[in-house]
Amino acid sequence: MSAIWEQYSALIVIGVVMGGVLTAVAYLVLLERWISAWMQDRIGPNRVGPMGLLQPLADGIKMFLKEDIVPEHVDRVFYFLAPGVAAATALLAIAVVPFGATVPLPAPLADLAAYNQAWQLYHQQVATDRCVIAPGIDIGFLFTFAVTSLAVYGIILGGWSSNNKYSMIGALRSSAQLISYEIPLGLAALSVVLVAGSLNLETIVGDQVAHGWNIWTQPLAFLLFLIGAFAECNRLPFDLPEAEQELVGGYHTEYSSMKFGLFFLGEYTHMITTSLMVSVLFLGGWDLPGVTGGTGWLAWGLKLAVLMAKLGFFILLYMVIRWTIPRFRFDQLMHLAWKLMIPLATANVMMVAVVREFGWSRWAMLAGSAGLVAVWAVFEVINGNRAINMPVRNKVGREPVGV
Amino acid sequence: MSLPEPIITPAGLEAPFDLSTYYPILIYSVIVIGFSVVTLFGSWLISPGKRTAVKMMPYESGMDPIGDARQRFDVKFYLIAILFLVFDVELLFLYPWAVVAYREGADALWKAEFGRLVFCEILVFFASLAVAYVYAWRKGVFAWR
Repeated sequence: MSAIWEQYSALIVIGVVMGGVLTAVAYLVLLERWISAWMQDRIGPNRVGPMGLLQPLADGIKMFLKEDIVPEHVDRVFYFLAPGVAAATALLAIAVVPFGATVPLPAPLADLAAYNQAWQLYHQQVATDRCVIAPGIDIGFLFTFAVTSLAVYGIILGGWSSNNKYSMIGALRSSAQLISYEIPLGLAALSVVLVAGSLNLETIVGDQVAHGWNIWTQPLAFLLFLIGAFAECNRLPFDLPEAEQELVGGYHTEYSSMKFGLFFLGEYTHMITTSLMVSVLFLGGWDLPGVTGGTGWLAWGLKLAVLMAKLGFFILLYMVIRWTIPRFRFDQLMHLAWKLMIPLATANVMMVAVVREFGWSRWAMLAGSAGLVAVWAVFEVINGNRAINMPVRNKVGREPVGV
Repeated sequence: MSLPEPIITPAGLEAPFDLSTYYPILIYSVIVIGFSVVTLFGSWLISPGKRTAVKMMPYESGMDPIGDARQRFDVKFYLIAILFLVFDVELLFLYPWAVVAYREGADALWKAEFGRLVFCEILVFFASLAVAYVYAWRKGVFAWR
């Protein structure tokens, strides 16, 4: 309704989000270093400023001022394009993800008076408590999904243009990993969309406020989505693209200075986006039964705080898991995606569709999830966990160990 | 504020497609792209540049590089990419169905007439997909060595 030059509130929210995300990324790096120090019984950064709190600032200045080496053998256009793509897609993906109170879109209404009233109320509410850059986008989740898929371009362009063996292998692995884990991610979200009947994230939150969080009714979809999100962020145990011990830095081996910084920014922004996404799709967004609700500034702040707490929980989970679980081997990675997560996710979608088709209670999906996990467990026991063990290279006889 | 004319659907009165909800994304993407460009070129301008022969070499853990980096690689990466296309397009087909099929306020008459039929069609779709999946599995696409 309003013209493009009248989007003042959008500009304010964009400023808040950009500032918030960039600051958060800087301090997440510090937090990550603190947590890794704590888990490895070290002290961690504590020299720059009180308790090392100015460390991100020093890091940022250092990155900006470091020599920007452009080696001779690189493909210059793509070499410069890759970090820009990585950072821009990561930042862009957050555009439709709510970070606080949301207003669900009005459902279709029978008469004109009710329609006018509902939409007028909607526009009023959006004007006051707007906690998302672009509210009311019909395609909501699909937008984020599409833009995060573009992140693979940043990685493959960086790896290819660097003309370095480590980068090349890292980029190949990474692109195979990202596209493989995108499918279970999308299928897990599909089962939420089937329940909520909308791709709009505000409506999905509204549905959960009315009917309870999706994690209680669809724990399997939640797990699949979480694992897929870990893989999409290239975080341990899925950090094969940049496995330091074997690939030096993976696809960003040849990058220095702020170009490396932009890759880093992209990775941490992905963490924030996916954590928010998990909270919104499965943990009811700002909803906390018995605490949040109502209108006004106090309720608004409370909703914001609840969603930020959920975000913080998932960020901490990312960091603790990084220092807990060792890295997968590549065949295990592909096995997990293609032989386990994709069949389970597809079966999960069909199960949800059956429950919705016959109009059963939502709690039937909990039983369905448990049933699917049981079927998978039986399957694994019968199969003797064969595929996870080291693959047999030669069917006739094995090579001697240690050759 | 004046509201746009609602469109009449079987479910009731719905708001028409509103392009202005997408304006913030347009503004945001311009700002984000500007941010990346400015950061890249800013650091490129400020940073010192002392070119030496060693710095310009591909990094290979201190060894002189042997051969070109762009060599042949495993065909499995292609197979995974092709299979990804199949499943991703499948996802894109399923999203519209997932949105429309069971939303609240859907047309009851339509559901009574065609609901079960659409459900069976989706099952057939899944079955054809399963055939492709089993074929790829038996052909050893997922067997990494």
